[in-house]
Amino acid sequence: MTDSVIFTEDLTKIYQGELGQKPTVGVEGLHLDVRPGEVFAFLGPNGAGKTSTLKLLTRLLMPTRGRALIFGEPVSDNRTMRRVGFVPEQPNLYGYLTAAEMLDFIAKIFGLPASVRKKRISDTLDRVGLAASGGLAVRTFSRGMMQRLGMAQALINDPDLLILDEPMSALDPIGRKDFRDLILDLKNRGKTLFFSSHILSDAELVADRCGILNRGRLVQTGILGDLLESQTGSIEIAFIPAGGRPSAEDLARFSFSEQGGNRVVRVTRPEDVTAVVAAVQAHGGRLVSVSPQRKSLEDVFMAEIGR
Amino acid sequence: MRILAVASNTFKETIRNRILVNILLFAVFLILLSLVVGEWSMGHQVKVIKDFGLSAMSLFGLLIAVFIGIRLMVQEMEQRTIYLILSKPIRRWEFVLGKYLGLAATLAVNVALMAAALWAVGLIQEGRVDLSLIPAILLIYLEILLIVAFALLFSTITSPTLAAVFTLCVYVIGHTTAFIREFITVHPDKGAHWLLRIIYLVMPNLENLNLKAAAVEHAALPPHAAAFGGLYGLGYIAFVLTLTVLIFENKDLK
Repeated sequence: MTDSVIFTEDLTKIYQGELGQKPTVGVEGLHLDVRPGEVFAFLGPNGAGKTSTLKLLTRLLMPTRGRALIFGEPVSDNRTMRRVGFVPEQPNLYGYLTAAEMLDFIAKIFGLPASVRKKRISDTLDRVGLAASGGLAVRTFSRGMMQRLGMAQALINDPDLLILDEPMSALDPIGRKDFRDLILDLKNRGKTLFFSSHILSDAELVADRCGILNRGRLVQTGILGDLLESQTGSIEIAFIPAGGRPSAEDLARFSFSEQGGNRVVRVTRPEDVTAVVAAVQAHGGRLVSVSPQRKSLEDVFMAEIGR
Repeated sequence: MRILAVASNTFKETIRNRILVNILLFAVFLILLSLVVGEWSMGHQVKVIKDFGLSAMSLFGLLIAVFIGIRLMVQEMEQRTIYLILSKPIRRWEFVLGKYLGLAATLAVNVALMAAALWAVGLIQEGRVDLSLIPAILLIYLEILLIVAFALLFSTITSPTLAAVFTLCVYVIGHTTAFIREFITVHPDKGAHWLLRIIYLVMPNLENLNLKAAAVEHAALPPHAAAFGGLYGLGYIAFVLTLTVLIFENKDLK
């Protein structure tokens, strides 16, 4: 816990219903431990409690019970938030300000002196690809530009921890690629990133660890590689039959398919791999590949949320 | 610095508000129109102009306070800009105070412009600038600030429409507390007596901030009336803002 960047213990948020309505669970009994330098993907379907969790971490919601610490200090401590950058989902910024004025306002809240602010603003705009748009009014920005500016305001204090709510949802493919590069660059600079996402392919590309939330509860957490490894399903053997196909007796129990001129068979047991390879070679066939089939993060996700 | 940053941002936001500019232009137009109204007043032109001008300042100040004051917090929540700000190292009371001071600065500019229009009319009519109106104008400003504080309070706990209704109620009741007190005294045994007593005790007496008639008539005021009004207004503003902060401190921003 002392080394944790984010640590939550029994973190719970129950929303009291309006008159005549039942209370609803935002998130319940959440235990999280995010380590320094990690990129942690917080996954879950809509309504799972991802945004509630992020809002609890950024003091926008008050917990019903439990506690949340960032860098070992309660999130209520103002000093803690000096080291944090936060981008809400589809950030809205002050339309009447220019992008540079917006960042200047945020920099002032962080107490950055005027001598630092000017260069920091220009560097940050450059970093998110808005170098030429600093003087434009925010109300003229597209959704993608708004997302980039949202990221810029989170980077203005050079935070050690970045909390991002669905950071890639409003971006086009180029924007998403830029964003992934930015996340990896920040990771290389030793920053910790905690982001929620429903775009699993993006999460798979950048995350070290992930947690899967469903109906307010954390149902799975772990190193991404381990999670996917543990979900290895089958081994695929591709070969080109030559001079005759493997005999029916040898491979009758397997089913074949055709893929790009190759014959493909999927097995689950290592001894079946040996049997198939031996049969292919015995009948003069040419082995093309033997590849374990890793499940995608989407497969893991679907399995965990019970779909 | 954080309060100042929020205040300065709020000032930028509100000073560019079209509703505010329209109300202000209309108010200045009406004050200038008082020149014409004064012509019909059979020898009391100067008094009528001043009375009309000060009343216009008070009324349009109220409109600005209600329209802009309520939008101040509601807009932050509806547009979710508040998420960005309150996730930063800023205390919620600093945010509330910054927003309030920013709007107070905008209102100061508005009141100054309306006062300048009134003095310009006075200069045309009397050939001089009547500085004895200053205490009355300052108290009008303080009354507007108090109404803004109520608008801010109501907008943190209820919908914008209800907040506007409640704020207008405070204004109306605030100017009728003397009648309420008289009613309680004359009819101590009426059914709703206790309710009226609570209203009388809780609601501000805005007549304490009303020196308009005395200023226009150049009537002798009780000593320190302006100072009392000022302290009363500031004290009440501090009370309402404290209440707002206490409510806002634990408010969930869903």
